[in-house]
Order: sequence, then structure tokens, then C-alpha cells
Amino acid sequence: MTEKELKARYKNTLFGFLWIVVNPILQMVVIGFIFRLFIKEPIPNYYLYLLVGLLVWNFFNLSLTKATPSIVNERGLIKKAKFPRAVIPLSIIFSNLINTLLGFGIILVPLLIFKTISFVSLPGLILGLVLLIVFTVGVSLLTSALNVRFRDIYFFVQAALILWFYATPIVYSIGVVPRQLIWFWRLNPLTSVVQLFQNALVSAPPPGLAMLMVNTFTICLVAICGVIIFSIESKNFDDWI
Amino acid sequence: MNDLAIRLSGVTKRYTIHHDKPTLVEKLINGKNEAFYALKDITLEIKKGERVGIIGPNGSGKTTILKLIAGITAPTSGKVKTYGRVVSLIDLEAGFHPEFTGEQNVFLNGMLLGMRKDEISKKLRRIIKFSGVGKFIDAPMFTYSEGMKLRLGFSVVAHTNPDIILLDENMAVGDQDFRQKSFAKIREFFESGKTVVMVSHYMELIQRICKTVYWLEKGKIKDFGNARQVVSRYKKSFKV
Repeated sequence: MTEKELKARYKNTLFGFLWIVVNPILQMVVIGFIFRLFIKEPIPNYYLYLLVGLLVWNFFNLSLTKATPSIVNERGLIKKAKFPRAVIPLSIIFSNLINTLLGFGIILVPLLIFKTISFVSLPGLILGLVLLIVFTVGVSLLTSALNVRFRDIYFFVQAALILWFYATPIVYSIGVVPRQLIWFWRLNPLTSVVQLFQNALVSAPPPGLAMLMVNTFTICLVAICGVIIFSIESKNFDDWI
Repeated sequence: MNDLAIRLSGVTKRYTIHHDKPTLVEKLINGKNEAFYALKDITLEIKKGERVGIIGPNGSGKTTILKLIAGITAPTSGKVKTYGRVVSLIDLEAGFHPEFTGEQNVFLNGMLLGMRKDEISKKLRRIIKFSGVGKFIDAPMFTYSEGMKLRLGFSVVAHTNPDIILLDENMAVGDQDFRQKSFAKIREFFESGKTVVMVSHYMELIQRICKTVYWLEKGKIKDFGNARQVVSRYKKSFKV
């Protein structure tokens, strides 16, 4: 019940879901134009490939940048009453998720026109979505809880997100990564998440099994850490804000 | 059997003193923490319907006790147990969102205080009427005056039908007219047999309202018992 109201509240503060689509389209046009000049092996349906990756990335990026300082921003609520503190970051992620799903609904049209979507890999898409949500929730709980104690976490997150974007196969495909360096992408849980989406929606190659296993393991680990740390820290939020 | 409203057993609350905005980098460089005990091993029981006052000099842990009872913060060690809906009048304005209208804020606040949505809808008229905000209820909160915010905040809290009420000092709210209304409401709580815990520096008020008084000093209970006796001993301690 509290959650419903808070969700409504954050929905109102977003600019409307249109931006969720317009933003990646703008990014897509710019990046698509520039990167095509550099990339050696062309990726089929590069613009759609980009768009899918960007939608996934923007969900993660926006959730994390808004959720991390959320506890500190809502100190008024924290100081006022007892309620499950996780409602604050979760409501942000939830409203973000709805917008993102609406965004995917819209780009379904070009995907169907160009027939890049493959219904065989639909289970992969669902797996990708679940992994994405679990990972986003886990990281957000972790950073929002830690940000209460250490305010520089937010700056760290902002810096990390910029690098993270290029460490994830969104503007390029994993195929261009040198073999010796592939372990680095295995450390990045978003690699196979993005690949699962790209595989299902634009028929890009699916993630390798080893990659998927390692990434899933990392995601679960991060999520568990996030939940544990948040529940420990949340008892004492009031002392620090 | 259960005529208890609040039980604190062996409650200790430690705060870390931070001199500046805390950062992770700093923490890694110098890991030392300065600790400060706001409460040390407090044990007390408050029965249902009891009206309890907490007195003591500044920094003796009075507000910390209220926060612990309200569940806003958790004790470092020991247990806090409450039975029934606890509502605090600690920070009335907190939790209002400036972009929202008065009405939306009433819902938001009411839910945070543990009311159901239909419960709020039913009481909405009375809440608005009591606050005296009138036609501004549809205006966003940032257009409100300080007094209006306080009045609306108090009005929401007053209509939550709490079992346990926590009152902090300086709860005189709004103008003369509203102050009378709010005192009448608080008195109504007292008379309807609610459990009340109040912190105040007004000894007359404490004596008039409370039966039992706890005297805190440096995070410990120095004295407790009959309100009149404890207050007079407390007053004497200053005259030396």
C-alpha cells in the first residue's frame, strides 16, 4: 500500500515515458553514425542492435543513478516514520521498469517490420529480463544503502557507469573483443544480459554458455549481498542522515 | 496478560560522531570512529493507557528514546517492543513532497504512518477541515506557508487513530486558534485512554498530564516514579 503510493509519486516525477524511447533513439542516431565509421566488421541491423542495447542499458543506468542517492534524498520520510526502507529504491526501479517495457513495446514495431525478432529465443529474452531486474535491484540496494554512510558512493557510481557503458557490448559486438581479454567481459554481468536481449530481438549471436553461467552467478551473488547489506544498514539509516 | 504498550529491555544506542560528511575514501584512510552513547542499558516498561513523561537536560537521550519507540532507528543492543500503532509527533513537516498537492501528501503521509488507503479516503474530509488549509488543498505543497504545512501534518497524525502517541517538545503548532484545536485533540487522546509518552521541558505540563516520569541524565535513568516527586527532585538538582 505504501509502495503503491510511492510508485505513483515517482511516476509523476518522470518526464513521461516518451523520453525513454526518444532518448535512446537520439543516442542511437549519433552513436550509430559515428561508430559505423570505425567498426571493421559491420553488425547486421546495426541501428536496431544499438537501440535494443541502449534500452537495456538506459534502464540499468537510470535506475542506478536515481536509486543510489534516493535514501539520502528522502531523509524526510526516513525521519518521519517506520516503514520498509527498501520501498524507496524499489519504487524507482519499478516505475523505471514500466517505462522501459513500454519502450520495448514501441520498438516492437520496427523489429517486426524488419523481421529480426526470433520467437524461438523468447525464453532467453525472459531470462535476460529476469537477470537484468535482479541485478539492477541488487546493485541499487547495495549502492543506496552504502551511500547513506559514504556519500562519495554516488560519485563513484556515476564515474563507474560511464566506463561500464563501454565495457558492455552495446555499441560493438562481443565478437570484436580479443580472445585474451574475454575474461574481462565475463566479469561484467551485463554482458550476457545485453546479449540475451540482442539475440532474441535482433538475431545477434547468443551469449556463450560459460559467459552466461559466470554472469548469472555474479548477478545472484551481487543481489544477495545487496539484500543483506541493505537490511543490515537500513536499521540505522536515521543515524546517518 | 498483555497490558503492556512499550517495553525496552537493556537498550543501548551508540552513535558515531562524524565531523563532516562521511566518505568511503576517508573511512578507508583512517578507520577510527568516535563513539557516543546516547542511551546506556535502559530498561523500562510502559503499560497500556499510561501517560509517561520523560525529562532531563539537553542531550540526555530523550529524543533518542522516542525515536527508538517509534521504530525510526534501531538500538545498538537490547530490545524495543511496542504493541499497537505508534505515531510520533516528532517531525510534523517531514515526509511532505513539495511537488505534490496537499491532498496527495495527505495520502502519502497517512500511508507512511500505517493507514490504509480507504481509511484515509474516509477521513480525508475531516483531515482537511481540521487543518484549516481550505482551498489550498489542491495546490502543490511548495506554495504552502510553514504554518499550513505544520497544521496539515498535525491533522494527518491526529486522525491516524494511534494506540501509542509520542510527543516531542515544541508541539505548539500554528496560530492561537489552531493551537487550541490541537491541544483539544491531544487532550482527547489523553482522555480516551491512549498510551502517551511525552518529552518536555515544561514541568507544569508534564505534571499536569503524566502520572509517571522518567528522569534521564547522560543516557541513563536517574530517577523515576510519581510525577510530582520526580519533578520536584529534578528541579531541586538545579538549585544547588
